[in-house]
Amino acid sequence: MAKFHYLIGMAALALAGCQGEGGAGDAGGGSRDQIRAVGSSTVYPFTTAVAEQFPRKFPSFKAPIVESTGTGAGLKQFCAGVGAQFPDVANASRRIKKSELEDCTKNGVTEIVEIQVGIDGIALGESKAGAKMALSEEDIYKALAATPYGKPNTAKTWKDVNAALPAVAIKVFGPPPTSGTRDAFAELILEKGCDANAEMKTLKEADKDKHKEVCTKVREDGAYVESGENDNLIVQKLVANPDALGVFGYSFLEENLDKVQGVKLQGVEPTYETIASYKYPGARPLFIYVKSAHLKAIPGLKEFVGEYANAWNPETGYLKRRGLIAAPDDVRAKNVDIATKLTPLDPATID
Amino acid sequence: MNSPIPVPATPRTPTDWNSPAMQNRIRRRYAAERRFKALGLVSILVSAAFLAFLLITMVGNGARGFTQTEIRLPVDFARSTLMLDPAALKGFGADAALAGADIEGVTAAAADAAFGDGGARLLSDGAWLSVREAIKERPEVLQGKADIWVPAATSVDLAAKGDGDAAGEAAYARLKAANAVQTGINLTFLTKADSTDPTLVGIWGALKGSLVTMFVTLILAFPIGVLSALYLEEYAPRNRWTDLIEVSINNLAAVPSIIFGLLGLAVFLNFMHLPRSAPLVGGLTLALMTMPVIVIAGRNAIKSVPPSIRDAALGIGASRVQVVFHHVLPLALPGILTGTIIGMARALGETAPLLMIGMRAFLASPPGGITDPATVLPVQIFLWSDEVSRGFVEKTSAAIIVLLVFLLAMNGLAIYLRNRFERRW
Repeated sequence: MAKFHYLIGMAALALAGCQGEGGAGDAGGGSRDQIRAVGSSTVYPFTTAVAEQFPRKFPSFKAPIVESTGTGAGLKQFCAGVGAQFPDVANASRRIKKSELEDCTKNGVTEIVEIQVGIDGIALGESKAGAKMALSEEDIYKALAATPYGKPNTAKTWKDVNAALPAVAIKVFGPPPTSGTRDAFAELILEKGCDANAEMKTLKEADKDKHKEVCTKVREDGAYVESGENDNLIVQKLVANPDALGVFGYSFLEENLDKVQGVKLQGVEPTYETIASYKYPGARPLFIYVKSAHLKAIPGLKEFVGEYANAWNPETGYLKRRGLIAAPDDVRAKNVDIATKLTPLDPATID
Repeated sequence: MNSPIPVPATPRTPTDWNSPAMQNRIRRRYAAERRFKALGLVSILVSAAFLAFLLITMVGNGARGFTQTEIRLPVDFARSTLMLDPAALKGFGADAALAGADIEGVTAAAADAAFGDGGARLLSDGAWLSVREAIKERPEVLQGKADIWVPAATSVDLAAKGDGDAAGEAAYARLKAANAVQTGINLTFLTKADSTDPTLVGIWGALKGSLVTMFVTLILAFPIGVLSALYLEEYAPRNRWTDLIEVSINNLAAVPSIIFGLLGLAVFLNFMHLPRSAPLVGGLTLALMTMPVIVIAGRNAIKSVPPSIRDAALGIGASRVQVVFHHVLPLALPGILTGTIIGMARALGETAPLLMIGMRAFLASPPGGITDPATVLPVQIFLWSDEVSRGFVEKTSAAIIVLLVFLLAMNGLAIYLRNRFERRW
C-alpha cells in the first residue's frame, strides 16, 4: 500500500520539479562559465581541437562547448543577441554577409572581432584506380551546370565537354545545396568557369540574378549526385566507382590518400602548398567571429582566442596536423595581432 | 418441441478415403500446409540474416574499438629540460605546477630519442597526458628514468589491428621488433568523454548524458502517463471530450520525433529560456514523446484487469481509490512497465529532436548534472561517423555496440518484469 502512495508522491514531486527546474534554468541562463561556439562544420574540427587543448593549458577554465550547425545557422544564433544564452564564438567557412551584420547590429551585437584562422581547400578527387583527370574550371562548369551559358545541358561524357578528355560518363558526388562546401564550390569553381565566357560577364552586369542562376545552378539529371554532408561517404563511393569524381574538403583527401587522389584543376594539383598559396582554385579562408561584449563576461574567452592564435601556427601549432592550411605569413601576422588586441571588425569592409 | 432429426431420403454412403480423388485432395492439403510452413521459415531466416549481418559487421568492426595500442616510452626525466620540483607536486598547486611545465615537449623529445627522428609521430597527440599522469602519481620518477606506456598514434594503432597504411605498418614492425608495443583493453574508451583524437576518445560522456536524459524522461513521463491512463480508464466519463482526448493521444504517439524537437526548441529554449544542450531540455522533449506511448500501454494493461476484481473489491466496501491502488494498478503494473521500457528504449535511440535543441555539441568532459551541456549515445555515433580521422571508424562501431548493449539490457529488463509479475486469469 505504501508503495502506491509513494507513486503519487513521486508524481507530485515531478510536477513540483517542473516548476523548480524552470526557475533554476532561468538563473542558469543569466551567467555561464564555459565558452560556447557554434557554426561551420568545416571549422568545427579545428575549434574542437583548440577547445580540447584549452583546459589542459589553462586548468582554471572549463572546456568550451562547440556545436556544428553550419555557417548560416551559426551566425544567425550568434547575432541573436548579447547574453549568456547566446553563443560567444561563431565559426564560419566564409566571411560574414552584410545582411547578417545588420541583423547583429539590430540585436545589440554591435562589436565583433573577425579572425581568419586559416585556409580550406575544396578538392576534387577520384579513386586511385581512376583515369587521372585534369580539368579546367570551364570543363567542370560545362559538365555540371543545369544550363551552361543558358542552354540545356546535354553532355553525357567528359568528351562531350572537352574533346581532349576521355569518354567517361560524367558522375560527380558532392555536397547538397545546404552545405557551406557547396556554396564555396559554386562560387570558387563553377562561377569562374562560367565567367570565362565573355557573354556571361556582360550578363553579370545586366542581370545579377539571372547570372547567378545560369552560373551556379547544378544539373539535376543524375550527373551530380548529392551525397549528404558526410564526406566519408563520398570517399567510400569513389572507391566503389573508379570513374566518378567527388567534391569534398581537402582534409578528407589528405586523410584518405591511400584510397583517393586529387584531380588537377587548371593544371594545379590540390596539395597543402598549392592551396596555401591560393594557386589551386578551390581555396577559401576560414574565420571565427568573437563577440566583444562577451570578452569580459565569459571567463577564458580572451585566453581561448589567444590559444587559437598559437594553434594555427604551421611550425609550432597542432592545427596543421588536423588538416588546417595556414594562411600566408602576412595574413597570419595580421590576425595574430587582431587576436591579441581584439580589434573589432570595421563594418565598412563587409560588402 | 422434440421433433425428430430429419432423416435424409437416401442414406449417404460413407466417404471412401482411399479413392484416388480423395487421396489427391489430401495431398493438396498437406502441400498447402508445407508451403505455408516453408514461407514462415523463410521470413524468419530473412530477418535473422539481417540481424546477423548487422551484429557481425558491428562486432567485427567495433570489437577493435575496445582495444588500444600502447607504446613503451623511456623518458629520462633527470636529463630532460623539465623544470619541476617533486615537492611542488604534493597537495594544492600540483595541477598549476604541471600545467606550467612543458611536458608535451619533453614527451616529444623522449620519443625522438627512443625511436629516431619523427618518433613523436608514432605517439598519440595525447601521449603527454599519460606522462603527466605518471608524474602526478609518482613524483619521484622525476629524479630518474622511467618507462611509461603511452597511447600510440592512429596510424600505428590501425597497423597493429591489421588495417594500417604502408607507413604505419613499417613503424609498427619496427616497434614490435624493439618489443616496445602492446595492445590491450582501451580503458580510456570506457571512462572518458569525446575528443578530437581517436586514440583518446571515450564513450562515457555520451553514456552518462544518455542516462541523465533518460532519468529526466522517466521522472516526467512515467507518473504523468500512468495517472492519465488511470484517469481515462477508471474515472473519465465516456463522452465526446474523452473520445477527442483518446484520438489526440493516439495521434501524438505517431507524430515524427523531429516535430517534438521543434516544439522543444520553441517552448523550452526560446520561450522558457532553459539552458541549451542540457539533458533537462532533452529529457523534457523526450518525455513529451514517450508519454503517449505509456498512456496507450497503460490503458491496455488496465483494461485487461478483469472487472470481477473491481466488483469484488467494491462489493466488500473498498473506495474507488482503494480499488485502483490496491488492486487494479498492481495487476496492471507489469503491462505498464513493459510499455514504459519500450517507450524509453525508443527515446534512447532518438537523435533528431536532440539535434534541434543543441545536444550535438563537442564536449570534452562528461556532464555533471541535468543543466550541464551533454550529448547522448546516438548523437555521438552520428558525430563520430562524420569525423575526418580514420581511427574514428572503429570507434563509431564500438559506440554502436555500447548502444545496442544498453538497449538489450533495457529490453531484457522489460521481459524480466513481465515474466516476474505477470498473472494470468
